[in-house]
Amino acid sequence: MKSLRTLLFLSLLCALAPGIGWCTDWELSADMRVVNSDGQPTLFDGGLGTLRFDRDDDGVQVGRLRAALNQPLGNVWDLKLDASYWGQDDAHPVGLTEAYLEYRPYPIDGWRARVRIGAFYPPVSLENTDSGWSSPYTLSSSALDSWIGEEIRTIGLETQLEWLGTRMGHDFDVGVTGGVFGWNQGAGVVLANNGFSLTDRQTALFGRVGQLGDEPLGGAEPFLQFDHREGVYGGLEVRYLDRVVLRVLHYDNRASPQLDEVSDQNYSQHTRFNSAGVRIEGDRGWTAIAQWLDGETTTAADDVPGGLSSWPFRAEYALLSKRFGRSTLSARYDRFVVDSIGADGYGAQSGHAWTAAYVFNTDAHWRFTLEWLQVVSSSFSREDFFGGPPLLTETQMQLAIRYALGSAIR
Amino acid sequence: MSRNQALAAWLLVLGAATRPVTAGTITLQATQSDAKPFVGAVVTLQGAAHPHVAPVNAILDQINLAFAPDLIVIPVGSTVEFPNSDSVSHQIYSFSPTKRFQLPLYHGQPYPPVHFDQAGIVTLGCNIHDQMVGYVFVTDAAYFGRTDAAGAWTVTNLPLGSYHLSLWHPLMREATASLERDVTVADDEPVTLKLQLAHPLRRPPLPATVRRDQY
Repeated sequence: MKSLRTLLFLSLLCALAPGIGWCTDWELSADMRVVNSDGQPTLFDGGLGTLRFDRDDDGVQVGRLRAALNQPLGNVWDLKLDASYWGQDDAHPVGLTEAYLEYRPYPIDGWRARVRIGAFYPPVSLENTDSGWSSPYTLSSSALDSWIGEEIRTIGLETQLEWLGTRMGHDFDVGVTGGVFGWNQGAGVVLANNGFSLTDRQTALFGRVGQLGDEPLGGAEPFLQFDHREGVYGGLEVRYLDRVVLRVLHYDNRASPQLDEVSDQNYSQHTRFNSAGVRIEGDRGWTAIAQWLDGETTTAADDVPGGLSSWPFRAEYALLSKRFGRSTLSARYDRFVVDSIGADGYGAQSGHAWTAAYVFNTDAHWRFTLEWLQVVSSSFSREDFFGGPPLLTETQMQLAIRYALGSAIR
Repeated sequence: MSRNQALAAWLLVLGAATRPVTAGTITLQATQSDAKPFVGAVVTLQGAAHPHVAPVNAILDQINLAFAPDLIVIPVGSTVEFPNSDSVSHQIYSFSPTKRFQLPLYHGQPYPPVHFDQAGIVTLGCNIHDQMVGYVFVTDAAYFGRTDAAGAWTVTNLPLGSYHLSLWHPLMREATASLERDVTVADDEPVTLKLQLAHPLRRPPLPATVRRDQY
């Protein structure tokens, strides 16, 4: 309540004194869904379905209630907070998905630095470019980016150095990024147990995926740290005239897999991956995006003292989108696979998905989205845990109505 | 030579000497590499005769996360105001050698105009919204302007003499020297120059409102 009063005070101050530049930029949004799904119980309900909503969720559901603010602290520091309620159980009803300080000094002679300290997404996704790490193209993220939203966050420090060639008459901008982080020792536990899914729900910081006690996941917490080993990542981004973006990243959480203590929910997954992506934007509203991710997560084997189990994984997608005035029509094809090594097939999964979405922005405040998503997947654990057929086709239809307001809405 | 013929010759010489000074005209027709009109290019014309061009006070606004207009041409010594008409804060900067400056986070118009005292091209950016790009072209030329929708630019009432014409646009790939021409105005016959780009223009940046990359 106190923070709300502070925010209102700052907004009023900005209205009365328009020259002040350190006003809070804020945004509130409510996203409600009408859902029709034939999916199996989802990851969030202890199941092995691959969708966000299952057959018991038909009807009206909360998509996302979100509050975000950007508070300048002086001229070159910003505090950014993003909180959401998803209508699905987490460690807390409302959680922060990102919270960080950003240092953005003025560029000097064509070079620009950025530093982020706190909790935020590493530079992987090329589709989730809208506010709140959401997609302007679809409701559900790709399998690749859904996993990033479930388990990956930088809780640490990231620096970026960029050469702004396009500001100096060249065709390219080039940037390098490096990050050091902790509290991602559990990253990979969802992948090893459930595999990939396609959802827009993001795990809150220090939050939980699934219900405590449910098999196979048991309410996993990806944001753990007890091995005192920091993770690292490094990446490169090249932009051609702001029309083509090429991004690559190597990530390694450097966790100690032998410290895994499943009984105490102290998951320790050594997870490393390479990701690459390209986004091309044309003159007539066309956008094409392709992303690829290849990695492996390793943890202590359950039954072999000193042994390790590994789950190599790979996901990729291609998205094509066309903007017509206030409308955007998009189609995406996803492919994903999780192999299982040293775990008797446990966690193995493969599948593909088609997504079609139509987005209509009535104005800056109202957005309507209709999305159809079909996932065909095969999961070893479906048979192992529930005795069901490993192969499954799940279809989900959503109509989303989103209303947003705030100083950043235009 | 008879007396009458001599008188006629004198009158002829006198007439030539007292004829009004001829004013010339230069017209530039600029085309892109595909022969389409080269619209919005900055044209400057410098000559030996150098009439003083008074500085101006210009306004370069920020609307919908874009500079409006995205390019202005001003004489040396002019000032430019940079109001922010958006609801979000902007933080304008230039690291161009011609004029380095920074306007800390602001709404509205809290800062005095910026003085541009040196000729050259100043590239503007916003330290918050990367997609925002603008240009201030500061010139010491006596005559300047931008090509119209037909790719044309015309200057009239030019004193006779030699001039140097140059063309610039933020999206052109050519080195500026390749788009410079010397031209002489010898009489009141209009001089027409044709310049064509050898390379296609770069694609303009996407509007900032189309995509908001959070990274």
